Amino acid sequence: MSQNLPAIVVILPLVTAFFVFFSAWWVKRAGYVLVIVALAGCGALSVWILTAVITDGPIHYWLGGWEPPWGIEYRIDHLNAMMLVLISLLSLITAAHSKESVERELPDKTALFWSLYLLFVTGLLGICITADLFNLFVLLEVSALSGYALIAMGEDRSLYASVRYILLGTIGASFYLLGVGCLYIATGSLNMADLGQLLPDLYQSKTILIGFSFIMTGLGIKIALFPLHGWLPDAYAYAPSAVSAVIAPLMTKVMAYALIRVMFTVFQPDFSISVTHVTDVMVWFGTVAILFGAVMALSQSDFKRMLSYVIIAEIGFIVGGIGVANTIAFKGAVFHILNDAIMVACLFLVAAQIMYRTGGHRIDDFKGMFSTMPTTAVIFSVGALAVIGVPPTCGFFSKWYLLLGGIQAHQWGFVAALLLCTLINVALFFRVFDKALYVHGQDTGGAHAGIPGNPHPSGVPLSMLIPAGVLAAAIILVGIFNQVIVDEVIRYTVPSGF
Amino acid sequence: MMELLSIEYRPLLAIFWPGAVACLILLFGSRPNVRESWILIGSTLLFLTVLSMTPVVLQQGSITFKWFNLLPGIDFALQVDAFGLIFATTSSFLWILVSLYSIGYMRSLDEHAQTRFFFCFALALLGAIGIALSANLVTMFVFYEILTLSTYPLVAHDETPEAIHGGHKYLAYLLTGGVFFLFGILTVYYAVGTTDFTPNGILKPALDGTSRLTLQIAFFCFMMGFVKAAWMPVHAWLPTAMVAPTPVSALLHAVAVVKAGVFGIIRIVYYLYGTELMHELSLGITLACVASFTIIVANLYAIGQDNLKRLLAYSTINQLSFIILGAAILSPMAAIGAMIHIAYHGFMKITLFLCAGAIMVVTGKKQISQMAGVGRVMPITLMAFTVAAFGMCSIPPLAGFISKWYFCLGTIQADQMAFLFVAITASVLDLVYFFPVVRTAFFEKPKDAGVKETGRPLYLFMVVPLGITGIFSVLFCLFPNMFHIFDLAQTAVNNLFGGV
Repeated sequence: MSQNLPAIVVILPLVTAFFVFFSAWWVKRAGYVLVIVALAGCGALSVWILTAVITDGPIHYWLGGWEPPWGIEYRIDHLNAMMLVLISLLSLITAAHSKESVERELPDKTALFWSLYLLFVTGLLGICITADLFNLFVLLEVSALSGYALIAMGEDRSLYASVRYILLGTIGASFYLLGVGCLYIATGSLNMADLGQLLPDLYQSKTILIGFSFIMTGLGIKIALFPLHGWLPDAYAYAPSAVSAVIAPLMTKVMAYALIRVMFTVFQPDFSISVTHVTDVMVWFGTVAILFGAVMALSQSDFKRMLSYVIIAEIGFIVGGIGVANTIAFKGAVFHILNDAIMVACLFLVAAQIMYRTGGHRIDDFKGMFSTMPTTAVIFSVGALAVIGVPPTCGFFSKWYLLLGGIQAHQWGFVAALLLCTLINVALFFRVFDKALYVHGQDTGGAHAGIPGNPHPSGVPLSMLIPAGVLAAAIILVGIFNQVIVDEVIRYTVPSGF
Repeated sequence: MMELLSIEYRPLLAIFWPGAVACLILLFGSRPNVRESWILIGSTLLFLTVLSMTPVVLQQGSITFKWFNLLPGIDFALQVDAFGLIFATTSSFLWILVSLYSIGYMRSLDEHAQTRFFFCFALALLGAIGIALSANLVTMFVFYEILTLSTYPLVAHDETPEAIHGGHKYLAYLLTGGVFFLFGILTVYYAVGTTDFTPNGILKPALDGTSRLTLQIAFFCFMMGFVKAAWMPVHAWLPTAMVAPTPVSALLHAVAVVKAGVFGIIRIVYYLYGTELMHELSLGITLACVASFTIIVANLYAIGQDNLKRLLAYSTINQLSFIILGAAILSPMAAIGAMIHIAYHGFMKITLFLCAGAIMVVTGKKQISQMAGVGRVMPITLMAFTVAAFGMCSIPPLAGFISKWYFCLGTIQADQMAFLFVAITASVLDLVYFFPVVRTAFFEKPKDAGVKETGRPLYLFMVVPLGITGIFSVLFCLFPNMFHIFDLAQTAVNNLFGGV
């Protein structure tokens, strides 16, 4: 049993997704309970896997007993064990938070919603656990397709946003698949570790170079790296609150993980650094993404759209950090994957609570938040300070590593962009603070009448405040105990070629 | 439990009190009397905690408390040394008085959002005490940001467009400074792998591997980081921040915030770079020139001011640069002058601000030109004002005289007579703009209806604190060693220079 646990992590939400859908025919509420149970199970398993990896090193699991490179292998090292814990716990917290908001925003689609939600999480977990490039594509499509459907459930404009996302997402996935095809033609293998041994002899081959650039382009679209980001803001802004709270922090981060895998496990670090010099390009794309994301975020009047552009900037942090290609910056990039997921999730939960309370998610809806919904305001403050990068929140520490790495590599453009982005983020979030804090002489009465039939006009229920509070606490605790995380986990994710 | 009271945990205890007070303020937000009792209790405990560490530090050297590992080679660590204690003692003692004063001021004016006000105030004190006690740059940065962020709602407290604009300007200057500060920290860490404050500096070995220019740029970044010290030309936030309620201007913009800036600069100069390196990179003389420029120009600005609080703001800018100048001369005597001036100037300037606030509450006047005859309505307040104002001009027997005396000895010791000239000119200019205020208040005949009391509710709450600080401004000249301020400065300078 216990050696099958890596497979169960993926199978559990997958199977539950079907039960959730059908259980709603008998008992309306049963679906939600199943979701929580399944995700809690996933969370416990992931934590168990992470501790096992920390004590005993990487875990190999052959699906169906088929030996690699023919069969599908699951290989879990520190990097993907961390991602598994992140995905399962974050989706659990979001699910716990979203019960009320789903019932209000999607009253007649709850079963469908939760079923898709689990499928989406299945896809993400699968992407992170698999060691097979084609299997990764399959699970990418599982998560992406359920993601499209989830986003389309949102407000009026979400359908348009979703179609746009489908078009671009499919193009991205196709690029990725074509790239994998090229590698397969040249080597006859799809297993990552196997490819890692076969490829170094073929680095000068045109097929391999084209395959690599296709994969990078495909992942670039999926990760929403600056010029390929067009689908992201609309999709995240108009999705239902519960959906943006889970897709926004996780989807792009998982894709960043895939990027790291392809660059440093499938290919060896020297291929990206000295053969193709793709890392140099990444630093510049990252730098531009940071500045573009930050400036665009400044011009938004909708909180969720603003956050979407913040994500684009944060993606620039991660991609640029990988591109700097030294140990410190790489640690920073991996740590930022973790931190950014927590921060963004926290802020999207705040957006969900604002939506719940006022029926909107514009910055104007934050008016008087500190007096009308003080707990939410505190949680928002923690999240915002983390994005700005104020110590001792976690955002400061990943930024520290990224900056130090940038200085070490003399990437002054990247360093300057990081520092400038900090300042723009200050302007960004203090605009919201001003609205939320200074109410003297303003009309504080509910800016909106709210959704008709608002069950809690006076406040946000505890079932929403507690999960968001947990994330806010996590932001601070991850910051304070960052050395434990870096020493126990992130240190081992650095590729050996640096 | 008793172990927690032992001396090694005292530094932690010192930053615990303001934090605890902040939490209690939130808890008892709806009951003003309980809320404000907590502040008074907490601030007294803080002061006693700080004071209890003084004899230990004087006899046995600094107390270090390492809490946890923050980054490789950097702990979240508190270190109580003689120099830090000067700042900590001053801020914690004045917090008690200003809390008392705030009660009178805020209630008299029936201000809104008092819970937020007191909460942010306690957090700001946490930041100031933390800066005083932090053992390395990163720990200091943490508290530095706490101080910046917690004072923003205080500056914009009035919530008028003017106040919010002032708040934005404040934030823009200080957080941009924070970014520079961060870059400076990173450069230092990259160069030597540590950021601990050590007497005589840690950066000397870096000269082998790092270019002079890098270290000079890092120093510039630190200076930009300590924009809180309001040196010119990055001073503009301070006069604008005077839109804040007067207790904020008093404690934060005369003591906690701005002194955190000069405190940081002295830490950088002596504990990070060290005298030798400052000489070698010719940073000392550069810094001294910037400070001299600020002293003279700020005084000239002050002469034209009609708004009393703005005048005091420019006077603060001038005095802060005076402290920077004392540090930049790099001679033991001048360093003593700079360190004790942190405390003495704090007491004098806070008196001036508290008087300005009291005049505002009782008569509603903010402009100096309208204050004709106010001295006859509020004699005690204006007496205290006069004492503190002449202290600023370093006239004996007032506290400002002692610090300027040591400063002048320092310039002679370092053989830099030009700065002696700057100091004397500054004193004369101080007199030029403070004297008319006193004359207007006491001797001028009211033009129209004159100064009328609009009422003096809770006047005692305000006049007692400012009376006490006024008396202290005199006492510090007669007994410079109150609260061991002078001993502390001497110990610190002995550690730095090996003797006076």
